Amino acid sequence: MGQLYTKDLSIGYAERMIVKELNLEIPSGKITALIGPNGSGKSTILKAIARLLKPMAGIVYLDGRSIRSQSTKEVAKQMAILPQNPIAPDGLTVYELISFGRFPHQRGAGNLTKKDKEIIRWAIMETGLTEFYNRPVDQLSGGQRQRAWIAMALAQQTDILLLDEPTTFLDMAHQLEVLQLLEKLNQEQQRTIIMVVHDLNHAARYAEHLVAIKSGQIISEGTPNEVMTKEVIRDVFSIEADIVNDPRSGVPLCLPYALVTQEPLIATDTQSGSEKTLVSTR
Amino acid sequence: MLEMASILKVERKKRRQVMGIIAILATLVVLVLIISMNTGYIRLSPLAVIRTLFGGGTAKESLILFDLRLPRIIIAVLIGAALAVSGGVLQGISRNALADPGLLGINSGAGLMVVLFISFFSTHAAFSIFLLPFLALVGAGVTAALIYLLSYKKDEGILPTRMILVGVALTAVISSMMIILTLRLDPNDYKFVATWMAGSIWGSDWHFVSALLPWIIVLLPYIFVKARYLNALNLGDSIATGIGAAVEKERLKLLAASVGLAAASVSVSGGIGFVGLIGPHIARRLIGPNHKYLLPVAALCGSLLLVVADTLARWVLQPSEIPTGIVVAVIGAPYFLYLLAKSRA
Repeated sequence: MGQLYTKDLSIGYAERMIVKELNLEIPSGKITALIGPNGSGKSTILKAIARLLKPMAGIVYLDGRSIRSQSTKEVAKQMAILPQNPIAPDGLTVYELISFGRFPHQRGAGNLTKKDKEIIRWAIMETGLTEFYNRPVDQLSGGQRQRAWIAMALAQQTDILLLDEPTTFLDMAHQLEVLQLLEKLNQEQQRTIIMVVHDLNHAARYAEHLVAIKSGQIISEGTPNEVMTKEVIRDVFSIEADIVNDPRSGVPLCLPYALVTQEPLIATDTQSGSEKTLVSTR
Repeated sequence: MLEMASILKVERKKRRQVMGIIAILATLVVLVLIISMNTGYIRLSPLAVIRTLFGGGTAKESLILFDLRLPRIIIAVLIGAALAVSGGVLQGISRNALADPGLLGINSGAGLMVVLFISFFSTHAAFSIFLLPFLALVGAGVTAALIYLLSYKKDEGILPTRMILVGVALTAVISSMMIILTLRLDPNDYKFVATWMAGSIWGSDWHFVSALLPWIIVLLPYIFVKARYLNALNLGDSIATGIGAAVEKERLKLLAASVGLAAASVSVSGGIGFVGLIGPHIARRLIGPNHKYLLPVAALCGSLLLVVADTLARWVLQPSEIPTGIVVAVIGAPYFLYLLAKSRA
């Protein structure tokens, strides 16, 4: 199974450094969620791991070798990627889209072999698209469409699956639909899944490993119980939140109630000031 | 449970659909070919056409058909296919349905070389007929290379949108240079340049067929084999990389093949626009966005369109003729406006 980790990875554009000397190890066979506020660099990190962005320095290791030393086709047999909000050409059917996932395994003109078709069939069933596989992708609901893209990634037959905000733009039911599918793929086939998620409670509920990122740095990483604490949430997201345990599953839930004020020192001052006033009146 | 049989059934249905459309289009092309062969100053009946084709015609019929009409018609078929496939490739790699070989400055680059040559040597020079296609090819190639260099950025590579915008800007520059040059020409040369730019199939003897054919024979099959790369690129750079396509490399190869096809066409036919835009559009409506089917169907649509346009060009104002490119524009522009009106914002 392909081990995935980064060594001193620095990513940025021209003068702006977004991520500096990141050392991140992705546990194999688990779901890892990258969490952090907008602009924290979590999507950037995912893209660099996926070789969509060229880092300024440092190396991404996949299966013990630098990802840059392997051909993009070789990498595509080990790792599938689903970017944010992908768009299929008008009129492309679900079946055709999924068949494109066979790309790294094909040669020449790329006619589908018996084996290719067998795998596409499996991907269709795995993602529950049996009724829709002959329909154009653009006519599906948001959740079905996202499942079709995941099916394409599955047809690639990789151990590792990277997803950039797979649930954004979906309503609650469709979010759950996608997350449950990912959970099933992880549990039944031990696929390594790395995803960027905005919803902390989804991250805690579906991922075994959380990585909290702020300004391109890892602030905290570990199990949901280790990462989802008042202190980490305050530090990373600048919000005050209560952490309670979900009565159903026992995983931590984050209930935000206030923004952390910009300069906490002033708040303390006013407080002590009013105390003084109280004292003096007394 | 999804049975393998039902997947195979869907595939068979699609294949039958593709074959059906290709058969219909091919039949139409052959029909129009026959009509085209008996259209002209001297009419040949369809029967005479067929008889002459099989070697049974009079000397006069043979001369008209083999030396005058047939080369021109074959050139129309080849150029129509080449321009449509070239446009289909550009639309695929730029993910922009409005991309067209003309937008990459290929027409204007070729035109500039032709005007430059004529303004120094005039059309009277005996060798011009043989030199012009070659010069047009050089002009088109240099312009395409220039556009590629100007739209290349070190960190991002080639962004298709930037490529199209650079193409539009460069085309404007070249066009104004051409206007300055053409103003200095004598009336005869001016007329030649104007007709050339409007897109007339002026090179219409067997030499031009044999000059064009190698390009088509090499590049069309090459592009057809590369259809799956176009499908990948058409999903966007991130996904194309994700499924294992070397995006920059493949895009450059496909771009070069597309420029080669368009440049070879332009060198024989002048600036015929719209075929590269509309051929793939019609094909997409008929067969969907899978390039494996889209490109061959687009090639047939392009051939059909250009043979029809060329036949009309020879027929409408007999005994004189209008440039084929103008007929294409007259048919193509309204259709294109209709497409724009229908398309989603």
